[in-house]
Amino acid sequence: MNKLIWKKDITAEIYTWKSALWLLLTAIIYSVTCYLLLTNKELSLLDQTEMLWLLAKIIIGASLLVAIIDASSILTVEFEQETMEDLLISPLSVKDLIIGKFLTVMTVWALMYAVAVPYVLVSSAGSGLGPAFLAYIALYGTLMVGGFTLFVLGLSFLYRSFKNTLTTSLVFYLAVGIPALFSATLKANPFGSIISVANPLDAVFSSLDNILVDYHTALTANATYLASVAGFVVVAVVFLAVSVKVFDRHGIVKE
Amino acid sequence: MMSVSIALFAAFGAPASATAAIALDVSSSKTLSGTAGDFVTVNGTIANTGPTALSDVTAYLSLVDTTAHMPVDLEDWSVEKGLYIGTIGAGAKLPLDWKIHFVKSGDYALSILAIVKGENKPIGSALTYFHVAQKKNLNPGAVLPVALGEPILIVMFFLLLKYRRDKKSA
Amino acid sequence: MTENIIIDIKDASKSYGDRAAVRGLSLSVAKGEFFGFLGPNGAGKTTTIRMLTGILSPDAGSITVAGKLVSDKLHRAGKIGVLSESKGLYEWMTGKEFLSFFAGLYGIAEADEAAEKLLAEVGLKDRADSLVGSYSRGMKQRLKLARALVNEPDILFLDEPTLGLDPQGQDSIQKLLKRLNEKGVTVFYSSHLLHEVSRLCTRMAVIDKGVLVAEGTLDDLRRRTHKDDLRDIFLSLTGPDAEPE
Repeated sequence: MNKLIWKKDITAEIYTWKSALWLLLTAIIYSVTCYLLLTNKELSLLDQTEMLWLLAKIIIGASLLVAIIDASSILTVEFEQETMEDLLISPLSVKDLIIGKFLTVMTVWALMYAVAVPYVLVSSAGSGLGPAFLAYIALYGTLMVGGFTLFVLGLSFLYRSFKNTLTTSLVFYLAVGIPALFSATLKANPFGSIISVANPLDAVFSSLDNILVDYHTALTANATYLASVAGFVVVAVVFLAVSVKVFDRHGIVKE
Repeated sequence: MMSVSIALFAAFGAPASATAAIALDVSSSKTLSGTAGDFVTVNGTIANTGPTALSDVTAYLSLVDTTAHMPVDLEDWSVEKGLYIGTIGAGAKLPLDWKIHFVKSGDYALSILAIVKGENKPIGSALTYFHVAQKKNLNPGAVLPVALGEPILIVMFFLLLKYRRDKKSA
Repeated sequence: MTENIIIDIKDASKSYGDRAAVRGLSLSVAKGEFFGFLGPNGAGKTTTIRMLTGILSPDAGSITVAGKLVSDKLHRAGKIGVLSESKGLYEWMTGKEFLSFFAGLYGIAEADEAAEKLLAEVGLKDRADSLVGSYSRGMKQRLKLARALVNEPDILFLDEPTLGLDPQGQDSIQKLLKRLNEKGVTVFYSSHLLHEVSRLCTRMAVIDKGVLVAEGTLDDLRRRTHKDDLRDIFLSLTGPDAEPE
């Protein structure tokens, strides 16, 4: 049953041009970025590993932003277009509805990843880091997009409004994104270390630095970073579960 | 600014008359020109032409953009701007070299300056002029097929889907 | 009659914050009835239907549909069809895709064939492959009715089904509903359009300000209010000048 929801929503994304625009815009961003980076690499202004690290951050950052926007609308649209009632009257369970919506956003992420692959291959040519780059972008991107999607779906059940869900999600994205951009020097103190451990995006960027710049590609070498990201996903699942309980208590009509 | 810099270089380029007896020379002047992105080695020599040893000697590279009439910040161009030599014995001649990364195209003038402890004026070599050609590559890292091709493919794919949908609904 | 009861509401209440939408509602509907549920705007009709379909839980009382409490969602979903007041349609889908999708949700194997059959039944066969967004208001209402019939329900809940339709549209829907009722489908018909309810329904209930004010056949209501004209009957039962029983 969740497959039906997934199929319906993916078809909607394609035929309403949402995914087309996102994929096109991210492809243009990657094109401009890669051209600039490779021009600088040819001038030896930028080391290839630094270039790959920058590209990895852009891929993860752009994909997260698109996932947040998509996830913010994918459930709230059912409330705002008044189609939720018909869905809840049918045999479809709330769990299947959530799974279907979740899979739709993850499919959009998969498409964005597919768009990024040629850019990664071209940029990493000769470095030997291509497979590791692709594998870790897939792993971290899936975990982060998955975690954020679950969190945003939880907000959707609480707010039932696209505008409010999107605003809160973007503020949360900024809250994790800005500290992740701080240099290692700024995070060298105990408080900075706490931020590094608690912030999943910081963990992803630090891990990618570890892999692409320092060549520590083994999973064991990045275990602590993975644990931080996995912890975020668990928190997002709990938040969603609580939000669904609140929704169940109120019912379709919000007082 | 340029004329003052060149004048200063020109003054220091002459063998020192009243201060330490040091002769500086840029030996790779003929092969220095290249293309942006190249790594080249600037070779030079420092010689103690006096009767006594000189201590605490440091040699520096100095670079001027002759088109923009501005000194160049060597941070992006060279790893070591200053080389500490220490003591040069009387009559001794030592080699110097700097690895330079040609970052930007243009016309430049280069000089080696030496500072000896206790002396209040640096000594400089003659100016070496060189040209860095622009790197013309429209397809760095063979990225162009992907950079242009992917957005076009995405547009075509969705236009095809739209065409099929419109045909079905007509 | 008791064993024939397919909808049984016992003392049901529902409030939204401080506002009581439905208070102590008790009524029952027999199997195969064409039951009318009348009331002015804001009387509590939609809230009652939402409680009957399990979308909302009553704060008090009990509601059973087809022998099961309304909290038993999955069982009930196979028995009921609902044409709700909500505007909800997927405008980017074709009519056929829309019905196929819901047929799939109900586990109907040949979803496309079921969709085509339903579209023919509601007079939308020629527009099966047109986008729902291009449908007129009347066509959208007919599509929603088709959606309510997708699982061949035993009980049909209709909330203002002919709202916004022209006389031809109203007539075609009413004829379809009559046909279904003759085949044994119980129809719970909620509306504020008196002439419709009186023409179609064998029995009716009138609700006002969340409270049941009258129940019975049209003749029962005439006897109760001593009025003959429908409009007069309705006005005497509801609103500020309502006459107490």
